Amino acid sequence: MRAALLLGLSMVIGLGVNAVRPNGVALRSFAAPALCGAPPSNHSAGSAMPAVSVVPPEEAAGLCGDPQTIIADVRPEKEFALGHVTGAIHLPCAASGSVADAAAGQVAGRRTLIVYGDGTGDAQPVADEMRRRINRPELRILVLAGGFPAWSQAGLACSSGACPDCQVQKAASR
Amino acid sequence: MRVLALRALRLGVGAVLLVAGALKLRDPTTFATEIANYQFWPALAPYLAASLPTAEVLVGVALLALPLSWRRPAALAALALFAMFLLAVGSAYFRGINIECGCFGTGGGPITALTLLRNLGLIAAAAVVLFGEPHPPRHPPRHPPRHPTDRPTDRPTDRASPDGGPA
Repeated sequence: MRAALLLGLSMVIGLGVNAVRPNGVALRSFAAPALCGAPPSNHSAGSAMPAVSVVPPEEAAGLCGDPQTIIADVRPEKEFALGHVTGAIHLPCAASGSVADAAAGQVAGRRTLIVYGDGTGDAQPVADEMRRRINRPELRILVLAGGFPAWSQAGLACSSGACPDCQVQKAASR
Repeated sequence: MRVLALRALRLGVGAVLLVAGALKLRDPTTFATEIANYQFWPALAPYLAASLPTAEVLVGVALLALPLSWRRPAALAALALFAMFLLAVGSAYFRGINIECGCFGTGGGPITALTLLRNLGLIAAAAVVLFGEPHPPRHPPRHPPRHPTDRPTDRPTDRASPDGGPA
């Protein structure tokens, strides 16, 4: 009984304190800034930003060795650990906005960002969101057609294991 | 020795809750984002972000500083909080969602098997405090017997006068 009282009362106090403090969380209008949270209509409407293009694995593979190109894998961490395009960073759709900002920092100075997932569809929202976040018209953002399965079927270079950049991204997001 | 160990556990659990709650209180909007990332019930995220840190702080204070009669309820409340956190963290871990834990505000680190183990350890510690803390002493009777011979017996003649009134 006292435990329920303690929990209930403290939660009510928390809501009350949140209501009066200046940096309290907006209870009704809160929207989590997740990477894939933005609706498609938000994508740099009215600006001259180039659209995201879909490219076949062979064309993406031609850009792979280019130091000006960075590749992002949007699949869950476990799938990423099982196998991914060599050198790809891990940027899942469920990542928080701070992780996306850290990834945007890694893209700085590059000319091309290639995004892939399990297919074309799951990479598209991440690519669109990165387009929205990175306000650089000279940056090409490409989606790998068919995703990682198509890349594997084409017999192109891939590696497996934990992502060394993941921890860097997470540390940078704190 | 047992009393010292129990006290150390109680203070440890209380301190963890107090620190975790205080860190989350600094930036409730970021904490709400971390909760929403769990993709469990995102609409609840701001309400939980506003109320959970205070609950952690007050339960922590209760474990650290309140009198004996509040320690077991506080340990039970801590157990409930840790169980809820374990459910959330375990759900994200087994669904393969790659997110920050949010366990200590923005510095909680990613969810790993170690996060689950830490939560299990905290649950165990809270359970030990809950079942190990002594029950608070009961209130003494208002009119204690003055002498052992004054204690009432089962014989009706000792409790009532012959006319039925009090003895």
